[in-house]
Amino acid sequence: MTRYLARKITIYLLTFFVAVTIDWAIPRLMPGNPIDGLISRINADPAASEELHGFFTKSFELDQPLWKQYVNFWWGLLHGDLGPSIAYVGSRVDELIWAALPYTLALLVPAIVLSYIAGNRVGAMAARRKVLDNTVLPVAYVLTATPYVFLALLLAYFVAFQWQLLPVSGAYDFSLQPAWTPEFAQSFLSHWILPFLSLFLVSFGGWAIGMRNLIIYELEADYANYLQSLGTPNRLVRKYAYSNAVLPQMTGLALALGVIVGGALVTEIVYGYPGVGSLLLTAIQNRDYFLLQGIFLFIIIGVLIANFVVDLLYVVVDPRTRTGLQGQQ
Amino acid sequence: MATRRNRRAAGAIALVVALATAASLLTAGGAGAGSQSPFALPRQETLYTSGKQWGPYTGFNPLRTGDYSTGTLGLLYETLFRYDPLKDEFVPWLATGGKWVGRNYVLTVRNGVKWNDGKPFTAADVKFTFETGKLTGSEYSTMWKTGLTGITTKGNVVTFKFGGRPNFQDWDTILYTMAMVPKHIWSQYSATEITTGNADENFVGTGPFTYAAGKGGSQTLQWNRRNGWWATKAYGLRMPMKYIVDIHNTSNTASLQNFLQDKIDLSNNFFPGIDKQIGGKIQTYYAKAPYMLSANTAWLVPNTTKAPLSDRAFRRALAMSINVDRIVTADYGNIVAKANPTGLLPTWNKWIDQAQAKKLGFKYNVAGAKAILAANGYKDTDGDGYVEGKSGGDINLRLIVPNGWSDWQTAIQIIADSAKDAGIKITPAYPDYNSLVDERNSGKFELVINNDKQLANSPYSYYDYLFHLPISETMTVVNFQRFTQAGAAPWALTLKFNKVKSTNVKLAKKYQSQIQKYILDYLPAIPLWYNGMWAQYNTSVWTNFPKARGKGLQTTPTTWNGYLNMTGIEALANLKRNT
Repeated sequence: MTRYLARKITIYLLTFFVAVTIDWAIPRLMPGNPIDGLISRINADPAASEELHGFFTKSFELDQPLWKQYVNFWWGLLHGDLGPSIAYVGSRVDELIWAALPYTLALLVPAIVLSYIAGNRVGAMAARRKVLDNTVLPVAYVLTATPYVFLALLLAYFVAFQWQLLPVSGAYDFSLQPAWTPEFAQSFLSHWILPFLSLFLVSFGGWAIGMRNLIIYELEADYANYLQSLGTPNRLVRKYAYSNAVLPQMTGLALALGVIVGGALVTEIVYGYPGVGSLLLTAIQNRDYFLLQGIFLFIIIGVLIANFVVDLLYVVVDPRTRTGLQGQQ
Repeated sequence: MATRRNRRAAGAIALVVALATAASLLTAGGAGAGSQSPFALPRQETLYTSGKQWGPYTGFNPLRTGDYSTGTLGLLYETLFRYDPLKDEFVPWLATGGKWVGRNYVLTVRNGVKWNDGKPFTAADVKFTFETGKLTGSEYSTMWKTGLTGITTKGNVVTFKFGGRPNFQDWDTILYTMAMVPKHIWSQYSATEITTGNADENFVGTGPFTYAAGKGGSQTLQWNRRNGWWATKAYGLRMPMKYIVDIHNTSNTASLQNFLQDKIDLSNNFFPGIDKQIGGKIQTYYAKAPYMLSANTAWLVPNTTKAPLSDRAFRRALAMSINVDRIVTADYGNIVAKANPTGLLPTWNKWIDQAQAKKLGFKYNVAGAKAILAANGYKDTDGDGYVEGKSGGDINLRLIVPNGWSDWQTAIQIIADSAKDAGIKITPAYPDYNSLVDERNSGKFELVINNDKQLANSPYSYYDYLFHLPISETMTVVNFQRFTQAGAAPWALTLKFNKVKSTNVKLAKKYQSQIQKYILDYLPAIPLWYNGMWAQYNTSVWTNFPKARGKGLQTTPTTWNGYLNMTGIEALANLKRNT
């Protein structure tokens, strides 16, 4: 077990190093210069603009050679400093991200967990009930094939704009400021539903189809036929089939996390949800190297941790992994 | 086991369904129900605004004029004067007056003004604020490099001493744009905090509102009315709303929906097709086209260092080939107006040499454009419908606007389309904003649309924008076209004009007429249309918004940076509750 963990952790650390390096490099490969954009927005008189250009280039340490910027970046990172934001001069990147993160997590975590649980359950039920199979399956196919952004737009248009059942944008009503009050909670909830549903429904479709196919495959496997011929109750056979089918789904979850996170970012932009996605858009538009790095860093850490948790869960869920580990010892 | 799992899963599904249903019910009775909002701020006491803030509310430093949060200047901090662009007059504000005595500017500070922490506003605050311009990174550094040598105070009189002939036009602009900050607070800040920091810990200003809530990623910014604002006594101005809530913009479409649902009272967003909604509860400054005041000129900027755009005959032919009327009607639904050939805004009409503009200005005329092209050696030799360059090579000009600026994207398609009739090939392209800035500033572009220069007290900023010299490797805010073909003359005239007092109308007109001749003759940039001061009013809660008609209502109806310190503050004070 220790060896298994040590190996996994080494791989994750290596992945982290490479991902973070790419994260540092990518914004700098984009055409355009963040300071030019900033000066253009400030639009001061020409002499002051020239002075400001030099001032900002120096204060963001963009006048230093690339290797030094890279070293500074790691130095800052290891000291918990993600640097200053260029788009929002005067703010620190970590402040901006911490302010936005709760909104993203409030969407992402329930969407991932609930769609996984509900999708797998409904998929498993569909595999053995013809009526469900004929109704849920086509819907699931449509849902999973729908891009997040498209479903978000459809929901926003019909539910919010046409029928006016739910608010179209933001995370709470304009007359409120975030506070622990029932009023705020009510408002937050009503604004949360649509972006949540956009994420939930697409993922739900994917899990349902996957599970339905896996269960059918498992129920036709030799061990299932053998059990059935022995007269084992159907419920028990299905239980074994489900246990086996869950494993590939769990691997799928690890793989799908990145896609779901990407979907959440786009969904936030559609609904003007003040999470990390909206922040990312502004960062890209302003070539805010530091903010981009910071956001990607959070995404990298989030996805890696989630993958690690899935790896650990695998050990718990799959007896074969456990046996393998014991064998190693 | 399986049953228990089933139950758990069913529970999860039920939870989701329950949440969705509950929220639908809640919102049907709450947010969707309009004025009977059960939420914190009373609707009848709150003015909701939108259209200014596109990024988080992180900047509260009024000395960083480009990116302070909505209302920082105007609601919280104030200026020495305000400028009324519609009457073309300065309104004494934190100063009761100022005059030139030789090369000194003598200013009288208003008595009885207090910062919202109770301390009096004094001449020392004025001196301190102006002296922040000496700090590296200050946006106000130029005045200290171009004449201002020192500031002295005596009682409530501040004397600004100039070494040479002052830049009067610039100075006037500073008087109504530079926010006064409290010395007793700001003197504790470091130089970097003053010039580039956010100043978001002490919200001590002299204005009619105090900071209430909203920072960083918050989706709104709330200002609360302050009791004892000095202008109530001095000018009889009183804010009718207790709260102003500015809404962070996510998209114009989302703002439009909120606006139509009575959740926004004053929207300064660009709403395509709003012309069809005007009437009833939705109103604009003018009842008829162009509906909005003009805020800036959209210029077609040619790179004059690249052939054939370096040829002024070609530029004229290009200008004449563009059907601006079609942009105004088909793209904008008449909410913008066609620009004067000088490019000067309608509020500067009195400075335009109209006879000269009529005589020398270009007009849409395809046949005329073709004739100019032919006469100057641009002919279609290969019969593809487009003219070739003088040396015979194909001409294909890349015209860029930022991606996502949908009105401009449509406009450049119309430009490309109408230039085609004259035989000029233009290919529209939509790089993202920063790539466009990079191309434009470094001089790699061919054609770009730009409207950076806003309405101001003097057309000086426009002349500076068109003729500024010298040309450096990167041009960040002016002379993107890198225009030098008329030599140093137009720039020298611009500098001379800067040194003319606005009261010397005759001399100011003389220089401007000469500068305008260069604009008309050389077309360093081609003025197309006036972008509107986008302002839509939803009058279901508040009325008496700025209007072309009605006593005292001719004010600037926007919360954009730099407009509350014009007459935007009066626009807010004029509002009345709709009963």
